[in-house]
Amino acid sequence: MNVLTLLAPRWWALKNGFLFGGRRTLIKTTSLLAMAIGFWVGIYVIFYRVLSYFQAVQEFGDILAYKLLSMVFLTFFGLLIFSNVLVALSTFFLSQDLSTIHATPVSLGELFAARFVETLLESSWMVLLFGIPIFTAYGLTYRGSGLYYLSLLSVMIPYLVLAGSIGVTLTMLLVQIFPAQRTRDILFLLFILLGILLYFLFRFMRPERLVDPDAFTDVVIYFRALSAPSSAYLPSTWATESVWPFLRPSSTPGGFYQGFLWMTAGASVVVSAFVTFLVYPQSWSKSQEARRIVIGRLINRTPLAAVLGPRRGSQFTALMGKDFKTFFRDNSQWSQLLLIFALIVVYLYNYSVLPLERARMPTFYLQNLIAFLNMGLAGFVLASIGVRFIFPAVSAEGFSFWIMQTSPITLGRLLWSKFFFYLAPLLLLGQILAIASNELLQVAPLMRWLTPITIFWMVFGITALGIGMGAVFPNFKAENVAQVATGFGGLLYMILAMSFIVLIVVLEAGPVYTLFMAQVQQRSLSFVQWLYIGGCFFLGVVVNLAVVWLPMRYGIRKLADYEG
Amino acid sequence: MIQLENLTKCYQQVTAVDNVSLRVNRGEIYGFLGPNGAGKTTTIKMLAGVLRPTSGRISIDGLDLRQHAVEVKRRVGFIPDRPFLYEKLTGLEFMTFIANIYGINGEHLDRRVQRLLELFELAEWGNELVGSFSHGMKQRLIMSSALLHGPRVFIVDEPMVGLDPKGARLIKRIFRELRRSEMTVFMSTHTLGIAEELCDRIGIIQKGKLVAEGTVAELKQAAGQEDPHLESVFLHLTGADAVSPEPLDFI
Repeated sequence: MNVLTLLAPRWWALKNGFLFGGRRTLIKTTSLLAMAIGFWVGIYVIFYRVLSYFQAVQEFGDILAYKLLSMVFLTFFGLLIFSNVLVALSTFFLSQDLSTIHATPVSLGELFAARFVETLLESSWMVLLFGIPIFTAYGLTYRGSGLYYLSLLSVMIPYLVLAGSIGVTLTMLLVQIFPAQRTRDILFLLFILLGILLYFLFRFMRPERLVDPDAFTDVVIYFRALSAPSSAYLPSTWATESVWPFLRPSSTPGGFYQGFLWMTAGASVVVSAFVTFLVYPQSWSKSQEARRIVIGRLINRTPLAAVLGPRRGSQFTALMGKDFKTFFRDNSQWSQLLLIFALIVVYLYNYSVLPLERARMPTFYLQNLIAFLNMGLAGFVLASIGVRFIFPAVSAEGFSFWIMQTSPITLGRLLWSKFFFYLAPLLLLGQILAIASNELLQVAPLMRWLTPITIFWMVFGITALGIGMGAVFPNFKAENVAQVATGFGGLLYMILAMSFIVLIVVLEAGPVYTLFMAQVQQRSLSFVQWLYIGGCFFLGVVVNLAVVWLPMRYGIRKLADYEG
Repeated sequence: MIQLENLTKCYQQVTAVDNVSLRVNRGEIYGFLGPNGAGKTTTIKMLAGVLRPTSGRISIDGLDLRQHAVEVKRRVGFIPDRPFLYEKLTGLEFMTFIANIYGINGEHLDRRVQRLLELFELAEWGNELVGSFSHGMKQRLIMSSALLHGPRVFIVDEPMVGLDPKGARLIKRIFRELRRSEMTVFMSTHTLGIAEELCDRIGIIQKGKLVAEGTVAELKQAAGQEDPHLESVFLHLTGADAVSPEPLDFI
C-alpha cells in the first residue's frame, strides 16, 4: 500500500501540471506532441523504407533485417541502462523529497519498490515510445501476425525490467565510490565521449560506399561477417531471438529465449533489491555529506590566477567573467563542447570525401553550388549550437536572476554582455567552417570571399536571435540548463533562425548566379544587373541588422515584464 | 527616504497589494508584518525592483523607482528571504562580482571585502564554491554583499531565516549600527520579538491592505490590548484572535 502512496505525488504533480498549467502548458504540450508525432512518423518511414529495401535484396535481406533488429535492441539496452542509472541517482539519492520520506515510517523494501518503479517508468517511456514505430515497421514489412505484437509486449516488459535492475544496482555501487552528484557528472561525460566515439566510427566507416557498386567486394565480405551469430549472453540477442520467429521462419524456438528473459529479469530484481538493502542506508548517508569544493585556492597557485581569479573591472567584464566561470565549472555545459568538436570534424570530413569528380555536372558548377549550399548548412550548424548554448543563456541565470533585477544594471546591458560573450566563439567557429570547407571544395575566388563574409554577418543575427528569444521565453526554474532548449521557445528559435538563414542565402543566390554567369561567359554586367546585385546585398544587410536589433529589443522589453 | 503612494499589484484576478501608502524616514527601521499571503513579499519585491507595480508610485531617497531604476538600485541593499546565488562562483568571486556590478573600486575594496567576510565568518570559505555553502552561509554571504556598496536603504525580507542565534544577534547589531549611521531599513518579518526589539515603527498588512501603522506603543494602544506582547496586538489587528480556538485533544 505504501508503495502506491509513495508513487502518488508524481502522478498528482503530472495531473496538476495539466489542470493548473493554463494555456501556456497546453500550447507547450501540443507543440511537443506534434513534434513527437513528426519524429515518430519520420522514424517509421525511414525504417519501413530500409526494411522494404532489405526485403527486396535476395539472400542477404533477411540477415540485414535481423541484424538491424538486434542492433536496435542492443542500442535500446545500452540507452536504458544509462538512463536508469541517471534517473536512479535522482530518485534514490538526489531527489528533494527523500529527506521527508526517510523521516516517515516507510520500510526500505517499500521505498525500493516505489523508487524502482518510478525509475523504470521515467527512464523507459522514451525508448518505448520511439521503439513503437520501429517495431511497427518490422511488423508491417514482414506481415507479422498478432502473435508478433504479443511476443513483442512479452519481450519488452522483462527487457525494460532487466535494464532497470542493472541500472539501479550499478547506481548503488557507484555511489559507494563517488558522491552522487559527481557520479552524474562523470556518467554524463562518459556518455558524451561514447556518443562521439560511435559517431566517428560510424562516419569514418563511410556507409555511403554500400551504394557504390565498385565497393561491392567489400560489402560481400561484410555480409559474411554479418551472418555470424551474435553473443548468446547478450539480452539483446534473447530479445531478437524471441521476436524474430514471428516475422520469418526460424530454427530457434522464440519461447525458449522469452523464458530466459523473464527469469533473468526476475532474478535481476532480486539481486538489485539485495544490493540496495545491503548498501543503500550507508550510500544515502554518504550522499548527504557536504562537499567542500575549493576552486580559488587551486587557481591562485597557478599562473591562471591573473585571468581566472577575482578581478576588478567594469559591469560588462564582470558579467562576462561570471558567465565564463559558470559555463566552464558546469560539467554538463563544457562537456558538450566535445560534441561540437565532433560535429565540426565530421562536417568537414564529409566535404573531404565528396565524390564530385563522378558527378555528371561540370565540377566547377558543382563545387560552387555546394559551396553556396554550404553557407546554409553552416548556418544550420551554427543555429543548432545557438539553440543549445545561446538560447538558454538568459535562463542560465536561474533562481539567481533576482541579483540582476535588483542590481544597478540595465537589462539591456545584461543581454548585450551575453550577446558579446557568445558572439566571439561563434564567429570563430563560423569562420573555421566556412574557410575550411571552401578550402576542401577548392571553390572559385568569389565564393572564397563570399562564404566567410556572409557567415560572419549571419553569426550576429543567429546570436542576437538566441539571446533575444531566450529573454522572451526565459525559464529560470529549469533544473538543468540543457532542458531549456527543448521547450517551445527553443523550437521557435530554430524556426526563426533557419528562416533567417534561408532568407540570406536566397537573397545572395540571384546576384551570385549573375556574377558567375558573367564570369563564365566572360562578359561585363549591365547597370541594371549591378543595381539588382547591390539591391539584394543591401536588403541582406537590412535583414541582418533587423535580426540583430529587433529580437534584442523585444527580449529586453519582455524580460523587464518578467514576474516569475 | 522610502515612500509608497497608492501602491497596487494585481495578479490576474488577485489583488496582492491593494492601494498601500506609507513613508519610512531616514535612519528608521520599519517593520512590515502580516500573516502568510498578506502581500509582504510582493511589496518588498516591488520596492527592490523585482516586480513592477500595477499602479502607484515608489520613491526611494527622493528618486522615483520607475524613472530612475538604476540610480535607486545603486542606493539600495536587498536581502531576499531565499538565498539563491551563483553556485559556480566562489565566495570571494561573488563579492568581487557584486563590487564590479555596483562600480565599487578604490584601494580599500579588498580590505572591505575581507572585513565583511570576516564579520560574517566566511573568510575561510572565500575560495570555495557557493554551491557547497549551507543555507545560513549563503544568507550571510548575501548580507555581506548587500553591505559592500554602502547602501543608504536596506530592504530585507525575513532577515533571520536560516540564521543561527549567533548570526541573528549579529544581524541585530548590524541593524542598530545602520540606524546609528542614518541608514533606513525596511524589513518584513514573522519574528515579532525581533520587530518589537528593533523596529521604530511597524506597518501591518493584511489581504494586501495596510491595516495599522505606528510605533509598538501606538499599535498596542490602537488595539486596546491589555497583553503587553506584540503577538496579541498582531493577532488582534489581523483578526486572527477572533477565530475560536479548536480543541486540540484530537492531536
